[in-house]
Amino acid sequence: MRCIRCKAPANVEVRRHRSAFCSGCYPGWFRNQVQRAIESEGMFGRDDKVLVAISGGKDSLALWHALLQLGYQADGMYIRLGIGNYSQHSQSASERFAAKHGLALHQVDLKEEYGFVVPQLRNQREGKPCAACGTVKRYHFNKVAVDLGYDVVATGHNLDDEAATLFGNVIHWQTDFLGRQGPVLASTHPKLARKVKPLFRLAERDTAAYAVIERIDYILEECPMAVGAKSLEYKDLLNALEERQPGLKQRFLVGFLRGGRKALAGRQEPALIRECRECGQPTTGEVCSYCRMRQRKRRQVESRMAARGS
Amino acid sequence: MKVTILPAREIREAAAADVGQLLKELKLHQDAYLVIRSDQILTRDVQLKSTDEVEIWPVISGGQG
Repeated sequence: MRCIRCKAPANVEVRRHRSAFCSGCYPGWFRNQVQRAIESEGMFGRDDKVLVAISGGKDSLALWHALLQLGYQADGMYIRLGIGNYSQHSQSASERFAAKHGLALHQVDLKEEYGFVVPQLRNQREGKPCAACGTVKRYHFNKVAVDLGYDVVATGHNLDDEAATLFGNVIHWQTDFLGRQGPVLASTHPKLARKVKPLFRLAERDTAAYAVIERIDYILEECPMAVGAKSLEYKDLLNALEERQPGLKQRFLVGFLRGGRKALAGRQEPALIRECRECGQPTTGEVCSYCRMRQRKRRQVESRMAARGS
Repeated sequence: MKVTILPAREIREAAAADVGQLLKELKLHQDAYLVIRSDQILTRDVQLKSTDEVEIWPVISGGQG
């Protein structure tokens, strides 16, 4: 297989594009895909301040690296989730990357600042804290972005993440989520930052290849809390189909974004955003989902302590 | 050839003519892994020798967030 640009032996094949690139040409193709996504979706401009949500994994670090190479103003933000060794390794990888490139990395420590860690948020039915962890991340990334005056929060969600989310939303017919799913979530309240996903055109394999070629030191280990997560099952199913039908994941997602989403979005009333009674952050209810989650956990701890005492 | 599967660095012996065949033999989806030899990513048509040492890197991450 030869590089479609310079005809040297190829290193990375992108089957859905019927293309292959050598290590020298691949990073340029990758960054071009990121730039096209930013421009075509109107995500942000050269003068905007971007806050990149950093996990220490390949996607967030590859995104941060690509944005800087493309000349954007991008700082990072990392949340110390308190997931044992995994969190220690991911924090180290994030800090090493920021130090190597001389970048600002804001951090929130859940245990020190808020008195809890993500493993305590396990859902009693599924035994997993993944949904609660998503709520925690969205809350803090938004709060820090607004408090520090960033124009936009960028996350490393890629084509596989988005296709798996879409698959899950379709099979459960989550029409409200389907109507909102997309690479840009506009700000509809002064305390709600704009959220964008500049990697939505790139597969997980593409971002991993970029990280390897650019020698980005990311954590390979998987979050121990995510083992057996539904999103991983959906990705496995979609990859089995992609093996026989290259391009299927992209057609599934892009087809939805071009057609299906618009049809669903038009049927929904725009949600009224107000400020949470407890914390003042934007929410559609009286109390935001983050405060509700923390209240629920507090009640569980209190009832457990009361049961022990009786 | 010696195959090291990350992140656990599980070591396996395998025989395959090329990268595509190696992934098939190990029952791994080609979109879910990178195959690396001497710090270079290999495309699925690259021929392999019995003396080669390759690493297989997973690319899939999960959870919600």
